[in-house]
Parts: sequence; structure tokens; C-alpha cells
Amino acid sequence: MFEHFRQQELARRLAGFFCAATLLSVGCSRPVESLPLVAIEHEISPQPPRVGPSTVTLRLADATGRPLTGARIAIETDMSHAGMSPGFAEAKEAETGRYKAQLEFQMPGDWVILLHVTLPDGTKLERQIDVRGVRPGAQSN
Amino acid sequence: MNPSSIPALDTPESLPFDLMRVPGLGHLFRWRYARPLLQTPLLILSLVMIGHGLFGPTLAPKNLATTLSWLHFRGVLVLVLLCAGNFFCLACPFMLVRQAARRFFKPRFNWPRALRNKWFSIALFVLILFTYELFDLWSSPWWTAWLIVAYFLSVLVVDGFFKHASFCKFVCPIGQFNFVASTLSPFEVKVREQNVCTRCHTKDCIRGRREPVSDLVTIRGCELALFLPSKVGNMDCTFCLDCVHACPHDNIGILSRLPASELMLDPIRSGIGYFSRRKDLAALAIVFTFGALLNAFGMVSPVYAVEIWLGRMLHVRHETPVLGLIFTFFLIVEPVLLVGLAAWLTRAWAGSPRAVLPLAVRYTYGLVPLGFGMWLAHYCFHFLTGLYTLIPVTQNAIASLGRPFLGQPRWNLTGLPANVVQVVEIGLLALGFAGSLLVTYSLAEDDSPDKPLRAFLPWAAVCLILWCASLWLMLQPMEMRATMMSG
Repeated sequence: MFEHFRQQELARRLAGFFCAATLLSVGCSRPVESLPLVAIEHEISPQPPRVGPSTVTLRLADATGRPLTGARIAIETDMSHAGMSPGFAEAKEAETGRYKAQLEFQMPGDWVILLHVTLPDGTKLERQIDVRGVRPGAQSN
Repeated sequence: MNPSSIPALDTPESLPFDLMRVPGLGHLFRWRYARPLLQTPLLILSLVMIGHGLFGPTLAPKNLATTLSWLHFRGVLVLVLLCAGNFFCLACPFMLVRQAARRFFKPRFNWPRALRNKWFSIALFVLILFTYELFDLWSSPWWTAWLIVAYFLSVLVVDGFFKHASFCKFVCPIGQFNFVASTLSPFEVKVREQNVCTRCHTKDCIRGRREPVSDLVTIRGCELALFLPSKVGNMDCTFCLDCVHACPHDNIGILSRLPASELMLDPIRSGIGYFSRRKDLAALAIVFTFGALLNAFGMVSPVYAVEIWLGRMLHVRHETPVLGLIFTFFLIVEPVLLVGLAAWLTRAWAGSPRAVLPLAVRYTYGLVPLGFGMWLAHYCFHFLTGLYTLIPVTQNAIASLGRPFLGQPRWNLTGLPANVVQVVEIGLLALGFAGSLLVTYSLAEDDSPDKPLRAFLPWAAVCLILWCASLWLMLQPMEMRATMMSG
């Protein structure tokens, strides 16, 4: 009889913990981002990306597909893990709606390119480009 | 040396150095609330990490959860273990929450007898190493924060139901890591004078100090079942100092000793028994040692080539089975081959009367210094090369709250140059190698007094193989990728 009560109490406490954990996990879900109004296509060379200097080319277009000119694009490169300092660069408009920047991947692994875009009307956009598996370059040991 | 300069036995000069005798520090440790005082800052830090991990930047290099967990916490942990002892368990924030919860929920159950060993915690240790690689925990503030939350919940569940320090002794993977690593620490919680304990009748260090009439415990005794007069070494000791507070004779100190000396001996140990008869402890030592190499292997370039090759051989694109195979090889196949062969050769050459399995169990503890050297080298690499990144990440976190009183983030701050850190890494690996050679030779001398060299050579070969593998790993270019199977 006593054992039965003990088991019931054990089950009650376990159920309580799981309910609390579920509520906590639901309450901490991330907000969904709004759909982009500006399309940004990117291209990185060399392919596959390697340690060392690289070029990123960005094509900006509005919702109707027309190239977007006169945007300011600040670029930040980060590794996917902690302990590395980010790199910074500015993309220059090479052709209408086509921007280029020189980047430096300092070590092999996963990288992230963050784009901080300011449109001519002052609208600010943020985009993230994941660059998976940058390979060791010729100079890395 | 002048004979007069050699201290005589039983004089104060011959006694080990005692941290409890250091002015200030001793007073602090003797204070009953020393532990909560040390735990509170770490609890606040844990809550900040959880908050920033869940709601802060999604990029690992900009988040306090990932930066503090995978760079600073691990680095400081192994360095404190190397230079002092298991002081992280003393300041463990999870135990502070547990203590608070136990004011409301008194545990009523004893930890199941079948689980009173290290097998369950070994499984959790391996599971954490596996999920770290599979889900790239190092790159996810979100999952890192949830790992910390899961830890808090696990502590509350386990110690909410089960009496004593069941979580610390039988569950906690970080605790098991600390227990094994602290066998190499220079300090140990120990009785100062055995004869004082012989005369003691109350045994408060294990029973707890009690009120004379009601017999209620007012100061807890050791919750990990370590009876101080027969406690040997740091295994299973959380440095909680409950015994120090409970001892009515002020006879327990934090004494200096030769690091790894407890691995060279095989006396019966309170709360543990004989090391040489504990297969679960030997398995923990194996996971600790070979897991160190495996964990480092996961961050260098060759692992991706191995994964792609295995994926093609098995015709699979998913990482789980491939990673499972790599873990099986590193944590089961390789140790069984190396340790088994060395034990067999020891038996054959040195004529040891023990069977192969007991020999393997006995000598496995000799590999722990090598494993710790590898953990030290690996974690110190991340810690030292990213030492200053905590500054801009903290500046960024505070600036994001709208009050940048620490200034704008100085992202150019990183850490020590990799080539400088590499020298430190090689030094730590050499230290581990030397430690393993010393321990295994000592075991060989004890095991085969007539032919110690014959008993020692197979284990020296194992140590050399593991050391060369460690060196090779540390000289590989670091490459931390999430998409191993993408080719």
C-alpha cells in the first residue's frame, strides 16, 4: 500500500516536471521573420570556398525584379563557432544592381557572411549567408 | 644536501601544505555559507547564458552562451583542475538550485542499487560527446542554452526524488569528468591526523553533525558516502566541504600531494572500493582518455575525409550512423585492441598472476594523465586563442540592452596567437605523457617486482601510440564544420 502511494507520488512529480519543461520550451520559441521585399543573390569565388582572399558578388533586385542601385552594403564575416574575431568589408557597386567585395576566410570550417544593407531610401536590411565548409587553402598548415 | 635541512617526520615542515591554513582562504572555506557564496555568481552567470542563448544573437561568436560555455568555462575548468582541484564542483550552480528546491521537496527514495555505479553516467558522458558533434552544439547558442536548462532540470528531477548527492555521484557527466581529472590535481580534501579520527566516536564527517536530543542533522556529512578517515584521493569528491564543516575536531584540510599519486596505489577506498576491481571506473577512465582524442578529432580537417569515405562505403548521406561508427571505433574498438593487447603482453612477458581483464582494469588508470593532457591541450587552445573575445561579446550584449556603458564592441580583440598556444599545447601533452609513463611504471613495479620493465613496456607502447596520435591531432589545421556529410 505504502509502495503504491510512493509510486503515485513519483508519477505525479515526474508529470509536473515534464509539463513545466514543455511550457518553457513552447514559451521560448523564436519569432518568425517577415518575408523579404528585396531579393539578394550571391556568388562566392573561388568555388568551393578556400582559406584566403575571396570575392563575393551580390545582385540586388526589388520585388518586381528590377536591379537596385545606390545601396550601401556593409559586410561582416564570422565563423560559426566562438573564439574568432569577425572580418569587415564594404561592397562596391560594380554594375547596375551588382555589388562586389573582397573577403578573407582566415581558417577552414563553416563561415557566415552578414550583410547590412542600406537602400537609397534609407531602408535597412539584414541578410545572412551561410558558407559551409571553407576548405584549407594552399598556405594553411 | 645538508642533513640538518631535511625536515624530520611529524614536524610542521614535513606536513603537506594545507589550503585551509592560508589566512583568509581558510576562514572563507570554514564559513558555513562559503559554498553558496561561490555558487551564486556562477548561478547568475548561468542564467545570463540561458537568457542570451535563447534571446540573444544567433551567431555563436557573438553570444555569451556559446562563448562562455565552449571557450572560457572549459578552459578555466581544466586549468583549475590541473593547478588546484575539483573547485568547480564546489561552486556548482546546479547544486544551489537543488538546495533551494529541497526546502520544498524532500527526497524520499534511495538511488536504485543496480545503478550505483558509473555505467549510467558513462553513457551520458558519451551521449554528450556524441550530441556535441552531431548537433554542432559549439555553433548554436540556442541548443547550448537548452543544454544548461536540461542540466538544471535533470538535477531537480534526480535530486528531487533521490536522497543524498545521487546526481553528483551517479549521473552528472561533468562531475565524472572532474572526478577523473582531479586524480591529477595537486590538492585533496583529507584528514590531517589519523589518530584524531581514531579517537572520534561521533563520525560527524559522514553522519553529519546532529542535535543531541532530537538527533536532527544540523550540518550535513558527506553526501557521496566518503568516510574521511578511509578516503583516498579525489575520486567522487566534490570538494563541497560538508565534512570540513561537520568535523568537530577541525581535523580536515585541503592538503597538497603528488598529482596522480592516487593512481599509483590500490588501497581500499571509502565509498569506492578497490580501483582494480571497478570495471565501471576503468571504463570511465577509457572514455575520459580516448574521448579526449575523439573530441579533438572532431575539430580537425581529416575527420571530414573519414566521414565522407565512410558515407560512400556505407551508401549513407546521414551523419548519425557514420558518427556512430567513428565513436564505436574510438571508444570501443581502439581501447579494446590497445589495452587488451597490452594486458595480454604484460601477462605473457612479466608472468603476472592476474588474468587479462583484471590487468587491463588495473593499468587503464595509467592512461588518465595522457587523456587529461589532451583535454588540457584542446581546451586551452580554444580558451587562450579566444581569451579576450568575452570582452566584445559582453560589450555587445550590454549595448543591445540600449545602455552601452562598456563602450562599443571591440571585435578586434581575440586572444593569444595560435603559434604561441601551440607551444603550450605540446607542453601539456608532454606532461600528460610523462605522467602516464610514471603511473604505469609504478603499477608495473607494484605488480611485477621481479620484472617491472617487462610489465611496463607494453603500456609504454600504448602511451607512445596515444601521445603520437595526440600530437598529430594538435598539429592538424582546425576546421569546425556543421555539414560533415556534404562533401
